[in-house]
Amino acid sequence: MNWTRSKIIWIAAAIIVVNGFFPAVWILLTSFKTETELLQVPITYLPQAATLDNYIAAFTAQPILRFMWNSVVVAGLSTALCVLVSALAAYALTRLKLPHRNLIMSLLLAVAMFPLISLMVPLFKLMRELGLLNTYLALILPYTVLSMPICTLVMASFFQDIPSDLEAAAMIDGCSRVGALFKIVVPLSAPGVFTAAILAFVNAWDEFLLALTMMNRVNMRTLSVGITLYQGEFAFPWPLISAALIVAIVPICILIAVFQERVVGGLTAGGVKG
Amino acid sequence: MTETSIVKHKDLSERTLGILLLLPAALLLLVIVVYPIATLFWNSLHSADPNNPQAEELFVGLDNYTRAFVDDRFWNSTLKTVLYVVVTVPGALLVGLGLALLANQPFRVKWPVRLGLLLPWALPLVFAGLIFRWFFEYKTGVVNDWLAALGMEPPQWLSDPTLAFWAICIAITWKASSFMALMLLAGLQTIPRSLYEAAEVDGATSWQQFVEITLPMLRPAIFVALIFRTITAVQTFDIPYAMTGGGPGDATETLAMYINKMTLDFLDFGYGSALAALMFLISMVATSGYLRYTRRSAARSGE
Repeated sequence: MNWTRSKIIWIAAAIIVVNGFFPAVWILLTSFKTETELLQVPITYLPQAATLDNYIAAFTAQPILRFMWNSVVVAGLSTALCVLVSALAAYALTRLKLPHRNLIMSLLLAVAMFPLISLMVPLFKLMRELGLLNTYLALILPYTVLSMPICTLVMASFFQDIPSDLEAAAMIDGCSRVGALFKIVVPLSAPGVFTAAILAFVNAWDEFLLALTMMNRVNMRTLSVGITLYQGEFAFPWPLISAALIVAIVPICILIAVFQERVVGGLTAGGVKG
Repeated sequence: MTETSIVKHKDLSERTLGILLLLPAALLLLVIVVYPIATLFWNSLHSADPNNPQAEELFVGLDNYTRAFVDDRFWNSTLKTVLYVVVTVPGALLVGLGLALLANQPFRVKWPVRLGLLLPWALPLVFAGLIFRWFFEYKTGVVNDWLAALGMEPPQWLSDPTLAFWAICIAITWKASSFMALMLLAGLQTIPRSLYEAAEVDGATSWQQFVEITLPMLRPAIFVALIFRTITAVQTFDIPYAMTGGGPGDATETLAMYINKMTLDFLDFGYGSALAALMFLISMVATSGYLRYTRRSAARSGE
């Protein structure tokens, strides 16, 4: 009984790990191969003559560090804005006695769930009129809206669980309502705020089409778009692309590795209740 | 002075505060969503000459919409989008549920499993598309290497319309099942252990426990995950764009890709806007189907 149980656990772990890591491991291996090795049939798994040339080329062929910086700025600022705006909205919708609370909540979610892709053209024109094309703001604002529904939902369910006595006590001690929000409610819902932040960051980091549309200057490209610039006109330089991909996914992997517990735990503790 | 007036005063300020707190979100939605929606519909009723962007926009009524109805490429890309939704939403749900159930086992060392679960989610869609494109390459791809090892004839995945569609579905499912699994795992972990213990006492098999306890308790989480997944699936763009560019021909082209091509390559904003409005309708139909289902099942359970 115990033996089979532990066997199941091992198999479960193996499936998840292989499923999740295989593509990343595959490009890691490829990033050390040479172009000639790649054309061998049958294909090789481990690099035969490991080389770092692809990494050198990844840094010199395109301004990849600049792409990364752009992604960090856009994802970071939109995350901060999204968490702030969603926290205020979630607070108003869960802890204040507002008329038509549920209606406002549904309306907020319905509007925010409008497929952004279908709004690309009007957004493009809007940003062009505002002179915001090729500026960070052209992506920060839409990305903030992109993650607003899920961030509001996650934080709302955390805010709901905080006893109102704590807030009342703070306000009796001379704290304003908004002060109580940032001194009591937000710190107590830290896991929820954290989860919301990570979700927003990954969404922004991931986005491609808006980034492609709003930023046409090479030095304003974000990573997801920048990586596609490594494609050759006719052939795909896979080892070079693999090296660039590895460089590009390292930061997000570190982020996920550091905060993994928070993501799963945060969604579990309050997150998705429906 | 009286207590009621104090309460009244507090109510009023609470209301004002509520409006103030909702204001930033409302303003953002107004600028980024509502105003663009309005211009989208306005544009869809006008024609802008792609060859002469300076020219005044002409009111053309519903011409752009009627044009869509006789446009084979619109129907093809819509059909493909619907097929991607129909295949990858249940696909990602099943794979995600499987992963979530596996991940819910009591592991002694948790981080490899958590990372394995999170990694596909954290990988940008375009990157996943590029990587899978390469997995399915004819000569240098790893998939055909496996098929050859199994003694099968390796196919030209990405230049065959049907196989390219399925290759893209596999990539989307792989990518989407990760977030699905996260949300479902979150749902699984809120199910009280005591329910399973009681069922075990009653001699229920693991399958019975799954059907009688896990699935019903998981329904809200499945529901939320499905809505989010469907909305994203209707907008499928990145993975087919990276894997086939819509090809061969336009066999794997989605509606989002066609809209993108129409507006940003052909600069036909009027027609592109009409297509985008139609896409919004599809998205509405898909999600309202879910909402009607929950309302019905809520009514059934006597809520």
